[in-house]
Amino acid sequence: MSDFGPGRLSAAAYFGCVALLTALGLGVAAWAHPAFLHSSLQTMGLEAVPHAAPGSFYVTRIAPLFDARCLGCHDDTRAKGQLRLDSFAAAMRGGRDGPVIEPGNPKGSELFRRISLPSSDDRAMPPSGKTPLTADEVTVIKLWIASGASGELRTIKGAPRPVVEVKIPESDLAAVQKQRAPLAAALKQLQARYPGVIIYESRNSADLEVDASLRGAAFGDGDLAALLPLAARIVRADLSGTTITDAAAPTLVAMTSLTRLRLAHTKITDKTLVALVGLKSLKSVSVVETKVSDDALAPLRQHGVATYGGGNE
Amino acid sequence: MSDFTSDELLAEYLKVQAQTRRQFVGWGAGGLGALFMNSAMAAPAAPHAVPASLNFARDPATPLSVLPPQFGAKVKRVIYLHMGGSPSQLDLFDYKPVLKRFHGHDCPQSFLQGKRFAFIQGVPKLLGPMFPFHQAGKSGAWISDRLPHLEKQVDDLCIIKSMKTDQFNHAPAQLLVHTGDPRLGHASLGSWITYGLGSENQNLPGFIVLISNGGTTANAGKPLWGSGFLPSVYQGVPCRSAGEPVLYLQNPQGVTRPERRQVLDAVDEINRENFKEFGNPETVTRIAQYEMAFRMQLEASDAMDIKKEPAKVLESYGAEPGKTSYANNCLVARRLAERGVRFIQLYHWGWDSHGTPVDEGVNVGLVKRCKETDQPTAALLADLKQRGLLEDTLVIWGGEFGRTPMWENRGGQEMEFIGRDHHPSCFTLFMAGGGIKHGISHGETDEMGYSIVRDPVEVRDLHATMLYLLGFDYHKLSYPYQGLDQKLTGVKPARIVSEILA
Repeated sequence: MSDFGPGRLSAAAYFGCVALLTALGLGVAAWAHPAFLHSSLQTMGLEAVPHAAPGSFYVTRIAPLFDARCLGCHDDTRAKGQLRLDSFAAAMRGGRDGPVIEPGNPKGSELFRRISLPSSDDRAMPPSGKTPLTADEVTVIKLWIASGASGELRTIKGAPRPVVEVKIPESDLAAVQKQRAPLAAALKQLQARYPGVIIYESRNSADLEVDASLRGAAFGDGDLAALLPLAARIVRADLSGTTITDAAAPTLVAMTSLTRLRLAHTKITDKTLVALVGLKSLKSVSVVETKVSDDALAPLRQHGVATYGGGNE
Repeated sequence: MSDFTSDELLAEYLKVQAQTRRQFVGWGAGGLGALFMNSAMAAPAAPHAVPASLNFARDPATPLSVLPPQFGAKVKRVIYLHMGGSPSQLDLFDYKPVLKRFHGHDCPQSFLQGKRFAFIQGVPKLLGPMFPFHQAGKSGAWISDRLPHLEKQVDDLCIIKSMKTDQFNHAPAQLLVHTGDPRLGHASLGSWITYGLGSENQNLPGFIVLISNGGTTANAGKPLWGSGFLPSVYQGVPCRSAGEPVLYLQNPQGVTRPERRQVLDAVDEINRENFKEFGNPETVTRIAQYEMAFRMQLEASDAMDIKKEPAKVLESYGAEPGKTSYANNCLVARRLAERGVRFIQLYHWGWDSHGTPVDEGVNVGLVKRCKETDQPTAALLADLKQRGLLEDTLVIWGGEFGRTPMWENRGGQEMEFIGRDHHPSCFTLFMAGGGIKHGISHGETDEMGYSIVRDPVEVRDLHATMLYLLGFDYHKLSYPYQGLDQKLTGVKPARIVSEILA
């Protein structure tokens, strides 16, 4: 056959060439994208995958920060600049140009350099138009890198306090209904008798709040005694300006969950106040414009109850 | 042809006309849709299917009846002291010694680049604090010597120095503060809160507005206490602290209370017939309002009558019965708080310290406003505290934006009197009362008092925090209008300022 036909290679030479080219390609890729190399090695199990320990500073402070401020562009789906910040391993691997975190050296860390550039700089992160990190957020990252960018360390001295987000309590209406059930009938009856005086403390609760102050003289000892079946559920009671007297004490003492009690402008005297010392949940008592003496309030104050009025008015 | 008489036809026509397209579509969804859903989805609803809004349905005859909050509330009522025109934070609370050092220097270019001000043009001069500052109370809060009374209550205050807004003119900025939106037509804070919680005292409006005048009038006017898209019964009712508290509330001369009752009965009957025919809930609201006005004839005069207060109390507020003053209004506010009014809104105008006339100068007008308000504000706080009411009341003091660290140069000219321009980037507001930390300052501005460097608080964040203290998730206190679940905080994300919660 002719020497000028398609070239012929031995099988070994062929596979050798392929292996060489593959290795070359991988080598170039690994050189150009070190993150890719580490990612591949870690996937193949040839390199240990670094993990951050639960409860570590990374998990409690850094990860939520990356999550809120960086993952829009640096997660597994977008990975801009081939940088992912959605795990400790990914963050430590870095991006297209190599690691972005140099443990112990914030100034030498690309990540820190980028977040501390003025927002007008083209290279600043988050990019122009996005909300820049707050001073506290930058400090937290700086301190974490400076202390070794560790996934183990739990606390870092001098780190600004974390931002706490308020969690609105989830309502479990079925559970609330169940708690309310035993007293529901009695409550309904009393609400019809005293409109606007007794309501649930909240939609999430079976506890009750009593406000008889607006009924004024039309609300007396007998009326308060009528609330006795509900007493244990009453957490706040405003009886200011009503005609109740010391005869109300037994009902008041039965309000074992009571936290706030207003007796302003009533005929209540020291006798009732002395009886209130047994109410363990009580936080505040008002006896403004009554004959109650300061001496009767002193034991309550010793139990940490805030008192208003009394004695030296 | 038809069995209808012409009268009946007319009535039917009017009834159909009174129904809106939206109501019709709503009925369709509720009626047919519900029928379908009932048969198709016999299985119980998923446990996570919590409705987007809470149920605020009430008997239309008692639209202000009390409803429990969503979750345990820290406060039951709000007293909002709005300083209309916006006081200068730099001369009262936000002390800037560095600004003082640069007093009279040209304003740095970086402050001006790309910025627009209401009146400042060209390069203005920097204006240092006009009054000496010192630290007060156990908390060591900085305060200017213009507020000697408030200084004694400083440990009860939570001072937010990092409030910001996006409006630099009074009317829209005031609307933003009071309705959550700079445009007209939204429900005010007091309306939202009385809608959500009702009012304890059925003989008084749940939302009362008290106005005192420091020279100018309201920029945004009545929409500041309007109910917007909420039923009109939740709008604020302005009351006067001198003369008749509510105009036209009392019977005209020669009309007795029983006669008035007779008239009302007749009007109510007509209204009830109208409601039977057209079913418009606003008609029932109207009946309820007439009835409340009748009951108010007795209660309102008593609540507003500060002559009933002992001389010692009048003196502590600096109140003088028979006058219209901020001091009187503060005292009335306490009386209303005691009587179960849900939202008490005070306005004191005249803080717009541009320095264009001398009376508006930081060194003249501001000083006067301080004199008018310092003692009453402090007395109100002390009085509420002494009576134990501060525990479940939220008091808020503030304007609609801040003032510039630059000396206003209207038209690019140096001005004769000392003034500061509007500054939306930062302002100071303080709160006191239940559920919040006291004796603290939250947020920080830069050394020149030009922009916020720490913990910015948007107006909607303030609103979300207020609603939280009153026991509501700001997402859940909503009202369906124009196809949206309208909320006080609007559509931008808000944040409950957890740092100030006790």
